[in-house]
Amino acid sequence: MRLSPQQFWRIRENQYRLFITVCGSCGRKAILKRPVCPYCGSDRVHHVESSGLGVLESFTKVYYRRNSSEDDLPKFIGVVRLTEGVRVVGEIVGVGADELREGMEVEAVLRRYASDDPYGVIYYGIKFKPV
Amino acid sequence: MEVGIRGWGAYIPRFRLSALEVAALWGYDGRLPKALGMVEKSVAEEDEDAATMGWYAARVAMRRAGVSGDDIDAVFFGTESKPYAVKPSATIVADALGVKRRKLATDLEFACRAAGEGMRISVGLVKSGLARNTLVIGSDTAQANPGDLLDFTASSGAVAFVVGPASGSAAVIEASVSYVTDTPDFWRRDRSPYPEHAEIFTGEPAYFHHIVSAAKLLMEETGLRVEDFDYAVFHQPNGRFPLQVARMLGIPQEKVLPGLVTPHVGNTYNASALLGLAKLLEEARPRSRVLLVTFGSGAGSDAFSIVVQDSAPELAKMGPRVADMMNSRVRVSYSEYSKFRGLLLKNVGG
Repeated sequence: MRLSPQQFWRIRENQYRLFITVCGSCGRKAILKRPVCPYCGSDRVHHVESSGLGVLESFTKVYYRRNSSEDDLPKFIGVVRLTEGVRVVGEIVGVGADELREGMEVEAVLRRYASDDPYGVIYYGIKFKPV
Repeated sequence: MEVGIRGWGAYIPRFRLSALEVAALWGYDGRLPKALGMVEKSVAEEDEDAATMGWYAARVAMRRAGVSGDDIDAVFFGTESKPYAVKPSATIVADALGVKRRKLATDLEFACRAAGEGMRISVGLVKSGLARNTLVIGSDTAQANPGDLLDFTASSGAVAFVVGPASGSAAVIEASVSYVTDTPDFWRRDRSPYPEHAEIFTGEPAYFHHIVSAAKLLMEETGLRVEDFDYAVFHQPNGRFPLQVARMLGIPQEKVLPGLVTPHVGNTYNASALLGLAKLLEEARPRSRVLLVTFGSGAGSDAFSIVVQDSAPELAKMGPRVADMMNSRVRVSYSEYSKFRGLLLKNVGG
């Protein structure tokens, strides 16, 4: 399967870095740099970059292999509560099944997500590893 | 303007492959790892490459330097294991770090020495006023032909430095010099999956000659003597060569061992000697003078005289330390190493 270099290029800022949208109307925060608040629809928003630090709240083990994925199965997908108070779903790497636990402190890292094998574009993005 | 290292960062993957397992698998004498001064080498995970490891090291370096992406005027990415043969890694890492668009950014290639050359280029840019701060990254997922002697050492790791004005820096780069010749000791032809080397020729006319020549040149030009240096860090292709070259220069072993990381990490190529420097910045007493000499096959060396400053111990607390990353380790088998490093040929796509 071929992903889209053009599509990835357009969204790469949100793939490479952890931004938080802060709403000036309702005051709520949401993950990703967004043009409008996902809660109240206001465009009175500003964006801050997360420290990348957080706590693993929950996780699951995944065996599903999607096309163009790296072959690092099984993998762990977790819910991370960032220190800024926003939750984000992401892959947890650099840790074995016996080491994973809820409440573990994690930090954002840049890793490969997938590639257009064998000679296509490599897609990078944020995952989380234990601090 | 004096130039200094304002921040540094390193990254060592947690997986390690035992040198004894490599010896047993490929039928080498079990005493060979000890002869090479090798215990184990670091192994990057499947979703890691030179860009991702370099990103981590650079992020820590920028935090220690107290700079943002707007403060970086140039990014130099030294590697010989680029994720793309054509397409810079410097741009990927710079964008992922939020470095501004008005910048120099390029990948440098000179075997294991490219990042060292990036340091020298940075000294020139900062000294001339063409750049306020530069980001120099050395990062490699080094490859070895399975079963070759390099299989004992070729490993993965990264290091990064923010180079800028010396005032307030962690270390002052008081002098530097380069020594380069055409020496075919190690190479990789187009479409070749692994590098080749000229066996024993990689030693005397290549590694030893260039490091000794660059170190002597530095001392001639500065008037510094061997005894003026508190520590010495050399490129570390294995655990023995740095100690041998130190003996050739009359430098005692105890000045070399604190910066010697290869026996437990392997040869991280562009991060090799610079990883040793990062470790010293975290451990050396302020005012210590460090002799740093890189080496890259092909061949060339850069020699630096670096003086650790008072701020280094406090800056060291602001990120993971090299010694801690060396100790945080999980052993993997050769099978796992093969999977992680893509040594197995598979059908792909779908």
